[in-house]
Amino acid sequence: MRRRFPWFSYLVVVIGGVAMVMPFLDMVMSSFKGAGEYGVIPYEFLPESFSLDNYRDAFSQLELGRLFRNSVIVTVSVTISVLVTSSMAGYALAKLRFRGRAVIFRFILATMMLPPFLLLIPVFLIMLNWPLAGGNDLLGRGGDGGLTTSLLALILPFTVSGFGIFLMRQFMVSLPDEMLEAARIDGANQWQTWRLIVLPQTKPVAITLGLITFIGMWNEYIWTLLISSSEPSLQTLPVGIQLLQSFLDPDRTMPIVMAGLVVSTLPVLVVFLLFQKYYVRGVVLSGLK
Amino acid sequence: MTTAIRVGALRAPAARASGLHREGRAAYLFLAPSLLFFCIFLILPFLFAIALAFSDWGGFDLGTIEWAGFANFSEVLSLDGAFVRPILVNTLMFAFGSVLLATVGSVLVAHCIEQLHFQGFWRVLYFLPVVATVVAIGNVWKMMYQPAGLINGVLNKLGVNSIGFLSDASYALPSVTVVHAWASIGGAVLILTAGLKAIPLMYYEAAAVDGASPGRMFWQITLPLLRPSLLFVLITQFIGGLQSFALIIVMTGDGGPVNATNVAAFEMYQQAFKFGAWGTASAMAMVLFVVIFAITLLQLWIARRRGEETS
Repeated sequence: MRRRFPWFSYLVVVIGGVAMVMPFLDMVMSSFKGAGEYGVIPYEFLPESFSLDNYRDAFSQLELGRLFRNSVIVTVSVTISVLVTSSMAGYALAKLRFRGRAVIFRFILATMMLPPFLLLIPVFLIMLNWPLAGGNDLLGRGGDGGLTTSLLALILPFTVSGFGIFLMRQFMVSLPDEMLEAARIDGANQWQTWRLIVLPQTKPVAITLGLITFIGMWNEYIWTLLISSSEPSLQTLPVGIQLLQSFLDPDRTMPIVMAGLVVSTLPVLVVFLLFQKYYVRGVVLSGLK
Repeated sequence: MTTAIRVGALRAPAARASGLHREGRAAYLFLAPSLLFFCIFLILPFLFAIALAFSDWGGFDLGTIEWAGFANFSEVLSLDGAFVRPILVNTLMFAFGSVLLATVGSVLVAHCIEQLHFQGFWRVLYFLPVVATVVAIGNVWKMMYQPAGLINGVLNKLGVNSIGFLSDASYALPSVTVVHAWASIGGAVLILTAGLKAIPLMYYEAAAVDGASPGRMFWQITLPLLRPSLLFVLITQFIGGLQSFALIIVMTGDGGPVNATNVAAFEMYQQAFKFGAWGTASAMAMVLFVVIFAITLLQLWIARRRGEETS
């Protein structure tokens, strides 16, 4: 199809593109603004001094090491757990014949319809009254905080993903049965078949799911905010950085917050740009269900 | 030949049954971790949430929990309280507004990107906010909305007086809504792009032969054939908008000024974790859940009806 130069399309996409990128540029620029440059009228986009003071302050005021460690532990544990449990459940639902398979598959689709906010209160109370944790007795009473005082509180509620199982199942259905049959004839049991034959084949979808989970957990905010409000040692990067902000002197603290955000966003951005092909495919797949 | 088949036919059921039995056991072992998780972190909390909505309970001692019937619901849904108005109204406006902006924006952008070179680059550009944490998005926009921020800076250069985007009660909700729409355009563009790519090129070629203008092709071919993906985007974004409140915590802190940006899920969060009113909070959660559930059923119903149309 021959066309004239699509000037209208360029106009729309470029104006929109500027609107998408501008906030990020403003974030970076503000993080370099020195004392007395931020919060001044008239507004200046470019910093005058390109000072690194905000970065120094962010590093000294935040226990960046601890925040980073917590973020990494939580994100990596959840990602590994979601990948393992999703590929196990996905394999059973895609390739094994058993009573109740259709019912369980429907149930897993239904779990995706439960909105997270509804589970916020009861899951919090369940963690608090977890039996035999944090000094609780067998009935979950008497202790001080139950599971809510350890990093497990940030990990456990995210260890399995209905969406992940669905994604894996859809992918595994298309794997040829002959391959699994051959493995069985060679004497492999179900565990070995899953581990040695199926898992290596699922690499593309595993990268997609791993990436979506990783970025989602790295950025998780509400649950971590809730748990760490009584236990500050559990803060992750987003929560810790948000708390840097002082209501008394926002003009001083905002540039420091921006510096912290630049530092915490960079790793995810790099990972995303390297693997964006896989991430994009995951989003599209979720739209095709 | 015939005997072999008959022997096979006789033997097969028994062998298959024991194989199936073993396969079934293996299947449940593979499913066990996930099913255990769903029991503890989904079914149990869901039932607990329902029970809490009908109970009166403060503090943490399960022994003091009391049955309250529909008292929480009549309190929450009472028109004298703040929940129905302004909070539930805010929630709907926030969700409607951001869906409207994001959908119109993403249809336009997805369609226009199709005409350009470097399509992957443009799509990633629009997708960037999805990668950023809500803390980054919320704070950057909060900063840009300040009297001394980027947006008022531009307005001032154009000779317009500064606007209190977040401090003026009549601007606060629209201001937050724009940010939510901005952040969700990228995902919608990706899904709509998949929908656009599925439209057969020959329709456009035929229309071009008949001398149709690009605008006419967009309205008469692209938009009608995009309907399935468009509907999916509309409904998922609407459901997402109804329950989102992280952005509001970050940008306005307390849903202010004076409840202007308070939404249902945030009010539930406050009632529960600030005031310890588990019952009231859970009743709010139930009301919002019922609204969302009804919309989800509507989506399934529409999808099924469409399936019958095409088959």
